[in-house]
Amino acid sequence: MTDEQGASGAILVVGGGISGLTSALEAAEVGNDVFLVEKNAYFGGRVAQLNQYFPKLCPPSCGLEINFKRVKDNRRIRPFTMTTVKTVTGGPGNYEVTLETAPRYVNSNCTACGECTAACPDEIDNDFNLGMDKCKAAYLPHEMAFPRRYVINKAALSVAGAEAVKAACKYNAVDLEMKPETKVIKVSAIIWATGWTPYDPTKMDNLKFGQSKAIVTNMMIERMAAPGGPTDGAIIRPGDGKQPESFAFVQCAGSRDENHLEFCSYICCMATFKQMTYIRERYPEAKIYVFYIDLRTPGKYEKFREKLMDDKNSTFIKGKVAEIIPELDGGVTVVAENAVTGEKIRQKVDMAVLATGMQPSLAVQGAPVSLNMDKSGFIISEPEKGMISAGCARKAADVVTTNQSSTAAALKAIQISRRS
Amino acid sequence: MNAQPDLDFIKYLKSAGGDTLKKCYQCATCSVVCPLSTDSKPFPRKEMIWAQWGLKDKLVADPDIFLCHQCGDCTAYCPRGAKPGDVLGAIRAFAYTHYGWPSGLAKLASSSKGLPMLVAIPAVIIFVLWLVSGGLVVPSQADFATHGYQQFFGHWDFYWLSKNVFYIDVIMLCAAGLAVFSVYKGALSMWKGMKEHSGIQSTFRPTIVQFTTEFLWPSIIEIVRHTRFRECKTNIDRIQGHLPLMLSFIGLFIVTVWSATANDVLALIPSFHFLHGPMSVWNPVKILANVSAIAMIVGVGILWSNRSRKEKEEGTKGSFYDWFLIWLIMAVGASGLLAEIARWAGLAAPGYVIYYVHLVTVMMLFMYMPYTKFAHLVFRTLAMAFEKYRESPYGKNTLNT
Repeated sequence: MTDEQGASGAILVVGGGISGLTSALEAAEVGNDVFLVEKNAYFGGRVAQLNQYFPKLCPPSCGLEINFKRVKDNRRIRPFTMTTVKTVTGGPGNYEVTLETAPRYVNSNCTACGECTAACPDEIDNDFNLGMDKCKAAYLPHEMAFPRRYVINKAALSVAGAEAVKAACKYNAVDLEMKPETKVIKVSAIIWATGWTPYDPTKMDNLKFGQSKAIVTNMMIERMAAPGGPTDGAIIRPGDGKQPESFAFVQCAGSRDENHLEFCSYICCMATFKQMTYIRERYPEAKIYVFYIDLRTPGKYEKFREKLMDDKNSTFIKGKVAEIIPELDGGVTVVAENAVTGEKIRQKVDMAVLATGMQPSLAVQGAPVSLNMDKSGFIISEPEKGMISAGCARKAADVVTTNQSSTAAALKAIQISRRS
Repeated sequence: MNAQPDLDFIKYLKSAGGDTLKKCYQCATCSVVCPLSTDSKPFPRKEMIWAQWGLKDKLVADPDIFLCHQCGDCTAYCPRGAKPGDVLGAIRAFAYTHYGWPSGLAKLASSSKGLPMLVAIPAVIIFVLWLVSGGLVVPSQADFATHGYQQFFGHWDFYWLSKNVFYIDVIMLCAAGLAVFSVYKGALSMWKGMKEHSGIQSTFRPTIVQFTTEFLWPSIIEIVRHTRFRECKTNIDRIQGHLPLMLSFIGLFIVTVWSATANDVLALIPSFHFLHGPMSVWNPVKILANVSAIAMIVGVGILWSNRSRKEKEEGTKGSFYDWFLIWLIMAVGASGLLAEIARWAGLAAPGYVIYYVHLVTVMMLFMYMPYTKFAHLVFRTLAMAFEKYRESPYGKNTLNT
C-alpha cells in the first residue's frame, strides 16, 4: 500500500466475518488495496461463535485460522477492528469514507499475557457467550481472537480496577486516555458484509423467552457446546445446571413470519440437525422433539437430514410451536398442533431450543449511509454505484453460499476499481 | 386422492371476507393460539386447508366453524396474514346460504347485489297490505294520541281479533314461520351432516328431554354468560357490544310474547279489556321494551364502531355478510325508537311513515334470519350442543369398544 489514505482502486470491506474476510482476501490477492473494517474487537464474526459449522462440521478455528493467516501475510489488506463507517461521500470509483475507531484502551504493546485480566476486579456480561457468563472488564474477547490483543471496557472499570489493570501490565500497553479516532479514506467500491444478528427471541411473546431458563436459543446451544464456551462444552440447563433428558426444537421461531422476519432464515433447520448431533454426543438416550413447518435441507444437506431422522429417540412433528408454558420443575411444556394427525400436542421437556433466525445487522443498527435495502433490511447490490453486498447482509445463507457471494462481490468491486 | 375443488365455493369465500385464504401454509399456529379450540379437535388449521381445497361438504358439516367466535387471536398471530378468523367467518356465511331454504331467497341474502330486492320484498308486501287494509290515512291528532299505532291498518268492530293485530300477525307470523321452517330444515340437515362427518355410530339416542337438558340448555347458559367470548384476547372488546345486544333480543322477545298474549288472548277476557291499546310508559313491560331498545341501539352501535375501526386499522374492506346484520339491527332499533318518539310528540304523519319503515325492517329481520349472520343464533347454539353430544356417551359407540 502506497499511502495511508489508500491508492486509487482501493476497496472498502465493511464487516470482518467469514464473508468480509473472504471478499477482502479475494480482492487483495489479485492486487487490490483493501480496507477491512470490523466493529467488534476481533475478526471472525458469527462463525467464530459456533461450535461447529457446515459443510464439514469443522470447528471455526478450521477455516478462520487460515484466513487470519492470509490477512496477516497480505500487505495489501489494512485491517481495522472496533471501527465503523460514519459517512460516505463521492461516487463509484471515487468514494471518500470517514471511519471511526473506538478506543480499545490497549495499545500495540500488548503481548496478550493476560496479567490485566487476572488483576482486574470488575466483571461484565460476556457478549461473545451471549451473556450466559461474565468476563473481566479487561479481557480477550475469546480464545481464538484475532488480532490477539486485549480490550478494556472502560465504562465498567472501577477506579481501583483501573489502577489494578494499569499496574498489572508490564508492557505499558494499557492506555485509558485513548480517544475515538476518525480517519478518511478513498476507495472506489464498497463491499457491505455486515452480516446478521440473532433475532431477538423476546419479541415472540407466546414463546416466553426469558420467563424460563429452560428456553434457550440455537446460538446459546452453539456457545454451550463450544469448548471455550460458558459451560466448557456441556449442554446443561442455564440456572440449575440440569442435564436435560428431553429437548424440543422450535423451528421457525420468528422466521417465515410477517409479524417478525418474513423470510426463511435458511440455516435454522440445518442448525437444529447439527445441534442434534451435539446432543447425541453428550446424551445418547435423550429424547428430542423437533417441531417444524417444513424441513428445509437443500441439496446435499438432505443426506444429513435423512441420517438424523433415523434417530430412534427423535420425533419430528409437523406443526409450529405457538405456545410454551414454563413448568414448576424448571422444564417447559411446548404446545403445537400436529398437522398430520390433527391433534394438539403438549410435550413436556427439560429444555426448549428456539431456532431463531438471522436478521440483517443493519436492520437492527441502521445503515450509516443510504443503501438500497429490501423491506427486511437485506442490502440489494448496486454495482453501478460501487455498492455491493455480500454474505448474510445480502440474504440469509449458510457459510458456503456466503463465501460464493463474497467472492462474487470481490469480483464486482475489482471490476469497478479497474474501470476508474 | 382425487380432489375436486369447487371453484365457485372458493370464489364465494373470497368475496365474503376470506380473500386471504390462499396465503395459509399450514403451520398450525392458529390452532394453538385459539383459546376456544380443543386438544382433540383443534381448529382452524384444518378448516383452512379444507377451504383451500374447496371441500365445502366437509366444512358445512363441521361444528368447529360455528364454535369459532372470531376472537381474532389466530389472525393476530398468523405468520402469513391468512386471517383464519375472517376465513371461518366467510365459511359460516357460506353455510347459512347452503342451509337456507328456499335457496333463491338465501342466495339473494348473500350479497349486496340482492340488497334492493331484500328491501323491496317486505316493503312492497307491507305497503300493499297497508293499502288493502284501508288504513293508509293519517289519523287525527286525537286518534293518534289514543290509539298510537294500534290502528295503523285501520279498525274493524270484530271483537275477537282487532284489524291491526290481524294484519301484523299475517305479516310477521308468515315471515317468522318461513324463517322457523327454513332454519329447522337447515339445523336438521346440519346435525345429520355433523354426525355423519364425525363418524359417530351411536348405539343410543338421547330423548328430546335428555337432549335439551344435557346438551342444549348448558349451551344456552354458556351463550348467555358469554363464557367463550370471554376467552378471546384480541377481539375481547366485542363483548361490550354483543352482550347488551343479545340481552336486548331476549328482552324484546319477552316483550313480544307478552304483547301478543296480552293483546290477542288475555284481552279477550272481559275484565282484561284494558290490555288493549298502547301501554303506559310506566308499564313494566314497556320499561323492559324501552330499555331493550336502547340496549339494542347501544350494543349494535358498539359493534358498528368496533368493526369500522378494525377495518380502518387493517385497511380491509368489510363484507356484505358482516355489515348487513349490523345495518338491519340498527334500522330496527332506530325506527322503533323514532316511532315511539313521534307518538309522544304527536307527529302522526311522520310517525306513520317511520312505523311503516319499522315494520319493514322487523319483517326483514325475521324473514332473512336463516340466511344472514343472524343465523348464528341457531347454528352456533346447535354446534355447541353437538360438541357436548359428541363428548357424551351418546356420541360414542359404547357397545363395541
